[in-house]
Amino acid sequence: MRTTARSRVLALALLALLALPSLAAAQGKEIVLKWPCIWVGKDSKAPAIAEIVEAFNAANAGKVRVEIEPQPDYNAYEQKVRTALMAGQAPGDIFTLKLNASTKDFYSNKLLMDFSKDLTGAWRASFDAGALAQSTIDKKLKTLPFETAVLPIWYNSAALKAAGVSSVPSTMAEFWPAMDKIKASGIAPMSQMSGDTNAWTSMIWFSHFAVSFGGPDIWAKPFTDKAFVESAKLMKRIFEGYTTPDAVGAGAGVSGGHFLAGRTALFSNGPWYAGRADLRATPFFPSIVIARAPAPGPTKNFMISRLQANVAAGETKDKARRAAIVQFLRFLTSEENVRKLAQSSGAMFAIDSGYVPIDPLQKQFYDIAAASKVTANDLEAALGAEATLEFAQQLGALALGKVTAEEFCALVEKKIDR
Amino acid sequence: MRRHGNRNLGLIALFLAPALLLFAAFFLYPLGFTLVTSLMRWKGGGGMSPNGLANYAKLLGDSSFRLAMRNNAIWALASGFVQVPLAALVAMILARGPRGWRLLRTIYFLPNVISTVALAMVWVTLYNPQYGAFKALLGLVGLPARHWLGDPSTALAAVILQTVVYIGYYMIILLAAALSIPRELYEAAQIDGASTLVQELRITLPMLRGSLATCVTLAMAYGMRHFESTFLMTGGGPAYSTSTMGIALYLKMDALRYGEASAAGMILILLGTVLVAALRRALGRGDPLAEAAQ
Repeated sequence: MRTTARSRVLALALLALLALPSLAAAQGKEIVLKWPCIWVGKDSKAPAIAEIVEAFNAANAGKVRVEIEPQPDYNAYEQKVRTALMAGQAPGDIFTLKLNASTKDFYSNKLLMDFSKDLTGAWRASFDAGALAQSTIDKKLKTLPFETAVLPIWYNSAALKAAGVSSVPSTMAEFWPAMDKIKASGIAPMSQMSGDTNAWTSMIWFSHFAVSFGGPDIWAKPFTDKAFVESAKLMKRIFEGYTTPDAVGAGAGVSGGHFLAGRTALFSNGPWYAGRADLRATPFFPSIVIARAPAPGPTKNFMISRLQANVAAGETKDKARRAAIVQFLRFLTSEENVRKLAQSSGAMFAIDSGYVPIDPLQKQFYDIAAASKVTANDLEAALGAEATLEFAQQLGALALGKVTAEEFCALVEKKIDR
Repeated sequence: MRRHGNRNLGLIALFLAPALLLFAAFFLYPLGFTLVTSLMRWKGGGGMSPNGLANYAKLLGDSSFRLAMRNNAIWALASGFVQVPLAALVAMILARGPRGWRLLRTIYFLPNVISTVALAMVWVTLYNPQYGAFKALLGLVGLPARHWLGDPSTALAAVILQTVVYIGYYMIILLAAALSIPRELYEAAQIDGASTLVQELRITLPMLRGSLATCVTLAMAYGMRHFESTFLMTGGGPAYSTSTMGIALYLKMDALRYGEASAAGMILILLGTVLVAALRRALGRGDPLAEAAQ
């Protein structure tokens, strides 16, 4: 009996001795979170992101450390994320995704962490409800909405004034005469394009028209709906008479280049374009007015917006690692840090930080977003890559009269994966 | 003797193993994977699910993909029967050794060492309807400007022209072959009173047959897998008028339609293989590459 008791004590002591180092190691081991990050190098958010990560690491020294893996090429980053997920690997502990109708398929991937149970209380309340709703699919929140963008129209008011147009046209009745005046002044009124995979700047115009005709839920309707057909007719009219001769087939660089060079007076893009040095160097920079497109339909006080970047995390069964990821994301999306990011980059976020911009151009984006009663997605965000590609490809045919507006819409409808 | 043979077999296997492993890892495995995924519904999210031949049916029923297939055929024909004959003509002229032929040889080859991206951008500028050189040239003869890349009726010809004028690669192969033809043959023909044209037709061209077959095969194979310059210049547009199977494949991947992208890849591989096999059969006689393979 004494021998058995002694054996038990010895066995327990041995177990304790064996377990102690691993327990100590487990308690003391630093959790390293890898973040393949696009906001590095010359990106406008790079300095603030570096500062935020540094502050987090300092506050959690010895416990959690976030390591940024720089990925300065946007396309390469997107491909890396997609390829890793396709190959059954999370691209990192933390990464970003452009959430749209195509990439939402990633929500069925078990590699993405679901934040639906983590995002509660005040943290949840700090997020824009609409952006959260867009990021929630089948009750799962596998990406957190982070960077957002409004996609308004840019007006070179100096060119408008030179053409005899005193204010930004807000109705179609004002719009066409204004465009005629600009044309008569010797420049093309608008930068348009049908090139690239999304005909970006023209896609923004089309989105404004379609939502105005059909309301913010228009994207759920068949593309053969009258709202789309009427929008296509407007685009055809614009391409035929109110844009540059190279608009069919032109890419975003050409479209933006015409505006920068003063060859066009109207342009369309997101707030990130405002940070360009070549834009700020133009003589008309102080005269840029950010406004809505004229509303041809019954919906008027709205803005086209999109989720520009959502934050995702790699799923893990390790509770400590999971907690560390959530801890960092809370820190990253805190009011203070989002304000810091907004201030330094001019970008817009899905988190209410109370930031009020000082830069006049940046302020116009915030003001127009705040003043809009409704926001609606753009075509690409709503319908995905394949439908957008078809839109871009057939826009050229529409502009050149190879297809009618009805045929154009029917062709795009065929590519929508509902 | 037998033991010696076995030892050789072992050595042969040993030396072949690295190449075979690389071939299996970087060709056979991806090919098998592409074939399997071409039969799957795979959109990038969850797993794959069997989809039979639906991806192939969808592609072949899609007018834009059929247009891409047609464009690849045009590319192959233009590369094989416009670019190579142009290269042969220049090679035959240079082989005659006119004054400055070495300089001309370098000039013709120069575009081959310039990045495709740079060349594509140069041509986009040349074709620009507002300030391009072609607009100025047309203006000189009183013709209106055209938007060569923006008009579906001219875009394909415009991007093909941008590639077929660069004949340097095939010209170098054919010039090397032409220079290796014994001079005595030409001397004998001259003594017999044959004109230069007759000498080229009766001596040079027959002697170049093998090299021409190789160049036509390489050029047409390139035409089948063409991607870069068109993607850079037009992205396959407008209205898919310049699209190729390679571009269609890329765009399917971009849209996360991986099953369809794999099917496009398999169709591209199949058509390319059939084309090359047919060319080998038709042009193989006298071609050192084909003869070595037989």
